[in-house]
Amino acid sequence: MIRVENLSFRYAGAQEPALCEVNLEIAPGSFVGLVGSAGAGKTTLLRCLNGLVPHFYGGTLTGRVTLDGVALADLSVAAIARTVGTVLEDAESQLVCAEVEEEVAFALENLQLGPAAIRARVQGALEMVGAAHLARRPTASLSGGEKQRVAIAAVLALRPRVLLLDEPASELDPRGTEELFAVLGRLRRECGLTMVVAEQKTGHLARYADRIVVLDRGRVVVDGPPRPVFSRAAELAACGVRLPQVAELAAALGGAGETTPLTPAEGRVWLEELLGGGRRVRAARG
Amino acid sequence: MSGPPAVEIEDLHYRYPGGPAALRGVSLVVAAGEMVAMVGQNGAGKSTLARHLNGLLRPAAGRVRIFGRDTARLRVSELARYVGYVFQNPDHQIFRETVAAEVAFGPANLGCPPDEIEARVHAALRFVNLEEKRDANPHLLSRGERQRVALASVLAMQTPVLVLDEPTTGQDYRTSLEIMERVAELNRAGHTVIFITHDMELVARYASRVVVLARGKVVADGGVRETFASPGVLAASHLAPPDITCLAREMAPWGIPGDVLTVEEMLAVLAPLVGGRGC
Repeated sequence: MIRVENLSFRYAGAQEPALCEVNLEIAPGSFVGLVGSAGAGKTTLLRCLNGLVPHFYGGTLTGRVTLDGVALADLSVAAIARTVGTVLEDAESQLVCAEVEEEVAFALENLQLGPAAIRARVQGALEMVGAAHLARRPTASLSGGEKQRVAIAAVLALRPRVLLLDEPASELDPRGTEELFAVLGRLRRECGLTMVVAEQKTGHLARYADRIVVLDRGRVVVDGPPRPVFSRAAELAACGVRLPQVAELAAALGGAGETTPLTPAEGRVWLEELLGGGRRVRAARG
Repeated sequence: MSGPPAVEIEDLHYRYPGGPAALRGVSLVVAAGEMVAMVGQNGAGKSTLARHLNGLLRPAAGRVRIFGRDTARLRVSELARYVGYVFQNPDHQIFRETVAAEVAFGPANLGCPPDEIEARVHAALRFVNLEEKRDANPHLLSRGERQRVALASVLAMQTPVLVLDEPTTGQDYRTSLEIMERVAELNRAGHTVIFITHDMELVARYASRVVVLARGKVVADGGVRETFASPGVLAASHLAPPDITCLAREMAPWGIPGDVLTVEEMLAVLAPLVGGRGC
C-alpha cells in the first residue's frame, strides 16, 4: 500500500541528509515499529509518508513515496490526509480548540459531516483511547498524557486507513501506554488499519509490531520481525536503541536469535529451558 | 541534621480554575541531598505539585517550605535562587533567539557579572552536550535538543534544588541515560533532585526513594526496592515495575529474589545458576 523507493532527503540548509536511500514496502494491515536514536530520521520518514515532505518542509528530495500506486508528490496534503492520519510528536501543538469534544470534532466539521455523525464519531474515538471522561474538559487543563490521548482521538475520528504516530506514548503512564498499544492492535485487527509507529518504548513495540525498522543516520540498518531484530543487541546498542529488558537479558546470557524472548512470561520459559537443560543447579531455598 | 529539609510540604491542596481538584492534601518532606522519583498516572497531580516548589502555583490551602522558608512569603525571583524547574514541555520555557542567550537569561537575572554568566553558559551547555549548538535558534532544534536546552538554562542557575518534569521524554535511550547520569552527578555534588517520570527503568536505576501520587494524594512513599516489590500499590496507580522485576518475580521458584531492579542485578543473581554462561 505504501512504497518507499530509493528515498533521500536533505532539509534546506542542512549539511547532512536526513534520509539516505531508504527502501520500504509497507503492506496493508501491517504494524511497523520505527526505532533509532534522536536524529536518526524517524520523524522525517513519517513526514515523507504523509506528504509534509516535500509539500510543507523544503529541501532536496530524490526517489519517491507512493500510496496505492500514486506518488505522494502528485497528491495534495488534504487528499493524503483522508487516507493517512498523523499524530505529531508534540501532541500539544496539535490541539487547537478550547474543549476536548470540540477538538475531536474539529476536523470532522471540516469534512462537512452532520451533527449526529460527528457526535457518534467523537464519542467513539474518545472511548477508543480511554478519554471519554475528558469530553467536557478544557484542553488547557489536561495533563501531558491526557493531551496525547486527545490528539490521537482527533485523528482516529477521521477514520484513516494508515496511522502514523510519532512517539505517541512518550508522556503516557505505563498503563496508558499499554492501553494505547492495545487500542492500536485492535484498530489493526478489527479495522485493518496500517500502522507506522516511531517509539522509544521498544518493550511495547516488541509485543505489538510485526516488523521493526531500525534507522541510523538516515539509513535503514536493520529490518525484520521483532524477535530476530531484538536479538541483535550490539548492533542496536550502537544505534542508540534500547532493547526490551528481557531480550537484553537473553542477549547477555548468550543470545537466542529467532527465539528471543520479549516479555517476562516468555523470559521465564526461556530461562527455565536454559537452566533446566544446563547444569540443573537449583538454588537452595531456605 | 544540618538545617531544615530542602522541601517540606504540609497538607497541600490545589484546584485549577474549571478543573477538578488536582492536589488533595499532599504532605511530603524531602531532605537536602536526596534523589527522589515522583511517579503516578497521567493527571495524578505530579506536575501540579512540582509547580508549587518554584512558586509558579501558590497553595490554595496548606504550606510549602523550601529550606524552612514559606513560599507564600517569597517572590518567584527569590525562590528561583533555590529551586530550578525544568518544564515537561521545553517550549513552555524557551523564548530567546539563540541557545546561548536562552541559557544566559537566568544567571543574568540573578545579577551575575558577564564573565560569570559566560562561564555558567559554557559549563551548562557542555553538561548537556550542546556546546556546538550555542548559536543555533533553539526553536529550530529537535524536541530532544530543546529539552536539553531547557535543562541547561536551569542548570546555569546553580540552584540547590532541581525539579525535573519528565526530563527524558522525547530523548532516545542513550541520551536519557546520559541526562540521568548527569543529574545523578549533580545529586552526588550535593543538589537535591526531584524528578518526575513514567520510565520505571530509570526510577529503578537512579532514584533511592519513590513517591507515588494518585488522584492528588501520596499513596506510597518509600525505597524503590520495597515499593516495586509490592505490585498492588503500583497497579492501583496505573504503574508497573520494569519488565526485569516482573521476570524476577516469575522466577521465584528458582530462588530469584522478587526485588531485582535492573538487568545487571538479574544477571548477578542468575550467575550461580547458569555457571560460566554469558557475562
